[in-house]
Amino acid sequence: MFLAIKELKHGKLRFLMIGVITVLIAWLVFILSGLGNGLSTLSAATFKNMDANYVTFEDGSRSSMSRSLLSESLVEKLENQTNVSAASAMGATMGTVLNNSKSDDKEKVDIAILGITPGSFLEPNVIDGKPLQAKNSLEVIANDTLKKKGFKIGDILKIEGSLEKMKIVGFVKNETYNHLPAVFTTLDKWRSIQFAAPGSDKGIEKPVNGIMLKGENVDSAKIKQLFKNTETVTKAAAIQGMPGYKEENGTITMMLAFLLAISAFVLGVFFYVLTLQKSNQFGILKAIGASNRFLGRAIVSQVFLLSFISIVVGILLTYGTALILPDEMPFSLDLKLVVLYALLLLVISILSSLVSVRKITKIDPLQAIGRME
Amino acid sequence: MSGIQFKNVSKLYQQGENQVLALDEISLTVEQGEFIAVIGPSGSGKSTFLAIAGALLHPSKGEVILNGKNLNELKPKDLAQLRLEEIGFILQTSNLVPYLNVLEQLLVVKRMAGKLAKADKEYANELLQSLGLAAKLGKLPEQLSGGERQRTAIARAFMNNPSIILADEPTASLDSKRAHEVVQLIANEAKSRNKAAIMVTHDERMLEYCDKVYRMEDGRLKHDDSFSHEKLKAISSKG
Ligand SMILES: Nc1ncnc2c1ncn2[C@@H]1O[C@H](COP(=O)(O)OP(=O)(O)OP(=O)(O)O)[C@@H](O)[C@H]1O
Ligand SMILES: [Mg+2]
Repeated sequence: MFLAIKELKHGKLRFLMIGVITVLIAWLVFILSGLGNGLSTLSAATFKNMDANYVTFEDGSRSSMSRSLLSESLVEKLENQTNVSAASAMGATMGTVLNNSKSDDKEKVDIAILGITPGSFLEPNVIDGKPLQAKNSLEVIANDTLKKKGFKIGDILKIEGSLEKMKIVGFVKNETYNHLPAVFTTLDKWRSIQFAAPGSDKGIEKPVNGIMLKGENVDSAKIKQLFKNTETVTKAAAIQGMPGYKEENGTITMMLAFLLAISAFVLGVFFYVLTLQKSNQFGILKAIGASNRFLGRAIVSQVFLLSFISIVVGILLTYGTALILPDEMPFSLDLKLVVLYALLLLVISILSSLVSVRKITKIDPLQAIGRME
Repeated sequence: MSGIQFKNVSKLYQQGENQVLALDEISLTVEQGEFIAVIGPSGSGKSTFLAIAGALLHPSKGEVILNGKNLNELKPKDLAQLRLEEIGFILQTSNLVPYLNVLEQLLVVKRMAGKLAKADKEYANELLQSLGLAAKLGKLPEQLSGGERQRTAIARAFMNNPSIILADEPTASLDSKRAHEVVQLIANEAKSRNKAAIMVTHDERMLEYCDKVYRMEDGRLKHDDSFSHEKLKAISSKG
């Protein structure tokens, strides 16, 4: 550590440059992970927020709400299964609405219409206004991003391609589904929007898209045995089944993986060149008795210090960036992810410095002191 | 048995087709408290000899016994330890670490050995003071003159209180006044602290401080009687 710090102080410019590169890499990694997290939140926040552990779909729907159709009557039967503490049905439809309360408003807004049972564990808490009422199927609660689009409590929404209307009575926060702001309504209302065309419900009595189950260690194989036309998966698997979710996450993860691999290489080369430049010094130190361990520790602690500071600066820059990013930008930093990537970067830079440590063990002190000429 | 002992040491350099016999069956004993000089023409094998004595190079044949330890039998890790604890190397060019100041050049030796104690700092200060560097403690090598650098390197070689001192042309970059001082210092250290010291030099004026002079020629080492003690003194008083 002594050598490491002394040298850092002496070669400020050189180490500043490597530090800046590390900061930029860290910054990029955190921004990407923030974007990835933001995107996945946007596509499945409602699912993620739900206090459910499992989801039951129609058999063959491959964990996708949009491909699944079940009867609401299953809810009661599922609730009676072992380890299931509660069950509640849900339906989802994408729609386009106009604000009917403003006659001059021609701007259409895309939303996700989610049918749930009022008062069930699927209903999110309102931050403004009042919750859903079972008896009043006109009333809906909407995600607060609609507020920014000019919607207020009491506004009437007209659904395109349907005769149905909805009235906003409350707002909820962070509820997006399939990248769209979620609007929660009753299951009955949802059915009248979704299955307006005769026969579109395939003759299923009280159809829903899926049934959310609460409870640990639910035996999905047994449920499958009892109810042949169903499949039950964990919530995580259901989130993977959201349209585009896997693909988006895959893209971001790929980019991150490449970025990390490239940064390992870039940093490794930097440290290596730096070590080569200093091989003479290391030779001197070896000639007067420095062990490989002593020199190796000097390098690793130097890289550790440099990376640690750079990563911290990178994190600060990222949070600074988050402040100035526009609201529509799906950017959300998860502290857990930030810590994870920070540790990963630290490990990568230390691993990449090991190449240099290996080099040191090979330095011949005799050569370094110029064969004493 | 303390001191350093060479037993039929040969060194063969292999360079492609060519083979250079740099050392040819060298046998020599340097006792504690003895200061010897090795002189000889360029390319005769003096540096090779010193590198082998300093455990930086393995002999092709023969063995070196340093304070009773056979260097051939030690592992690289133990050799590093031995260099640290028992050998003080003074090189022709001072070879200081560029980013450490004069005091730190000495302290780093202690850090290599483990913890730095307060007594070590005092000892380093004393050493530097006795070498006339008290005013330069905080200076980096680039801010020092050649002689100051050389003296720093000497202080560093003494820092771990080694039992063997090896010096390869320590006076090459010094004027004759400084050169005398430096060699005197090595001689003093060898005498007062009972160390074995070997100095390679081209400068015959420096031989007056040495107990014995050996001449290296084509890899062979011979005791040189022409530099008897009285004769040495005579030369120096003339020069
Ligand atoms: N690594 C090496 N590979 C091949 N030959 C070498 C090597 N090192 C030294 N030699 C040869 O061994 C011989 C002795 O070299 P050495 O450096 O010991 O001489 P020296 O007496 O120190 O010379 P100088 O007074 O010029 O420093 C020379 O002929 C040299 O060319
Ligand atoms: Mg030489």
